[in-house]
Amino acid sequence: MSHEVTGAKCTACGALNYPKRPVCRECRNETFDLVPIGGEGKVLTYTDVYALAIDYETRYLRLAIVELDGGARVTGQLLDDDPKLGKRVRTTIGVVREPGEGKVFGLQFVPA
Amino acid sequence: MKPVYIAGAGMTRFGRSEWPLIELASVASLAALHHANLGEIPVDGVVVANMGAARVNKQTALGSALVDQLALYPATAEAVENGPASGASAFKVGVQAIASGMADVVLVTGVERMRVVNGLEGTDFVASLSHPEAEYVYGVTLPSLAGMFARLVMNRFGVERKHLAMVAIKNHENATRNPYAHIQQTVTMEGILTAPEAVVNNPPIAEPLHLYDCCPVSDGAASVVLVSEEVAAKLAGPKVRVAGIGQATDTHAVHEREDPTDLKAVRLASEKAFAAAGLKPKDVDVAELHDAFTILEIAESEAAGFFPRGEGHLALERGETKLDGKLPINPSGGLKAKGHPVGATGVAQLVELTWQLRGEAEERQVKDAVVGYACNFGGFGNNVVATVLRREAE
Repeated sequence: MSHEVTGAKCTACGALNYPKRPVCRECRNETFDLVPIGGEGKVLTYTDVYALAIDYETRYLRLAIVELDGGARVTGQLLDDDPKLGKRVRTTIGVVREPGEGKVFGLQFVPA
Repeated sequence: MKPVYIAGAGMTRFGRSEWPLIELASVASLAALHHANLGEIPVDGVVVANMGAARVNKQTALGSALVDQLALYPATAEAVENGPASGASAFKVGVQAIASGMADVVLVTGVERMRVVNGLEGTDFVASLSHPEAEYVYGVTLPSLAGMFARLVMNRFGVERKHLAMVAIKNHENATRNPYAHIQQTVTMEGILTAPEAVVNNPPIAEPLHLYDCCPVSDGAASVVLVSEEVAAKLAGPKVRVAGIGQATDTHAVHEREDPTDLKAVRLASEKAFAAAGLKPKDVDVAELHDAFTILEIAESEAAGFFPRGEGHLALERGETKLDGKLPINPSGGLKAKGHPVGATGVAQLVELTWQLRGEAEERQVKDAVVGYACNFGGFGNNVVATVLRREAE
């Protein structure tokens, strides 16, 4: 089973809408191609958050917004012991949350 | 649009409350109604602002519940849920009802009772406003969005942790003069930043933000009575007019914003509110900003138009935003120290401004305040309501 994260690439203007929406943010067109989200990029910002929500047993989570090569931005978990603004990272897919019995897969970032 | 006035304002003390949700709302509402002193004039409608009662208190249909408590039948009733901007949104709904001529008297009450659940559950309920698939699933909470925002802003504009501490110190100081504030205790630069024990006193919450950069979790309610020009003419007391309201939205996921350090919705909402009021940021005498996190007071003070971009922390450093400064910000203590019962906050900001403009703010009165501005920041800046109030000459 694939746990790929996908975005919606507008068939009219080419803008990548991530997260997906039924109407393009840039041109209001309503048709899209589903494209995988991922690759290499750089850390735009990050935080170590201790104020956690339910479903986490860890003391803190390291979260980041990454700017992927090509311009799209994504939020995810940063798996890096030496985080820095602007540092090169690449995306991987991993378990990001475990509510109850299930597992949620999503984007994680590791040093490139 | 017909003119709309605030005829009365009241609130409960913020903090931990043993009162049931609707009793909190009733106490604030009665304080506002007594303040307005309507006599025989009936209340046409009630609007309740709340974010979490359905989940946290297992109660819904709060408008009808409050009408019943206050025996205001057959007044109209509804509740507004708009995240942390619920308060100012409900206020806007009340203003629209009077401005359109559909009502003459509307009671707007914001209420939240969120300390009945533990911290994890409370943080999670607020985090549920983030994007479900692109943010929430990763463990995003409001502090984490604020932490990521703070790191960017600090890196780009030279804001330091000492500036964040200055916001906390100022707002805690103001709150000691506010009997309604949750935390009535001063803090010092040594205690929260420079002394060795500061690392213990002030632990990290979402780096670079620490405990004293974050608002407390509070219970509480706040209420205002809105009236038409015809009703206002029959009432005694100073006349505080709703001069302008502006609202703007932005992308749900923060990462999609062209410049994530730009609080665009604050900027657009404020521009609309000032245009509607026929006033400019420089005309404002007192402001209540949404400092759920200290960095937000600095960033909002710029986006609202009070200071140039990247210079809010410099104005703060010069003391311009203190109670006796050029533009006092958060004389109430702000969310930082007054507290943040989410649905009540937007209304409580307008309660404070009403008292300030009526000259009733006692120990924290801003001298000769005529124009007030409030910023109620919903989501993480994806839904913002700005309000300008003005006291009219009698």
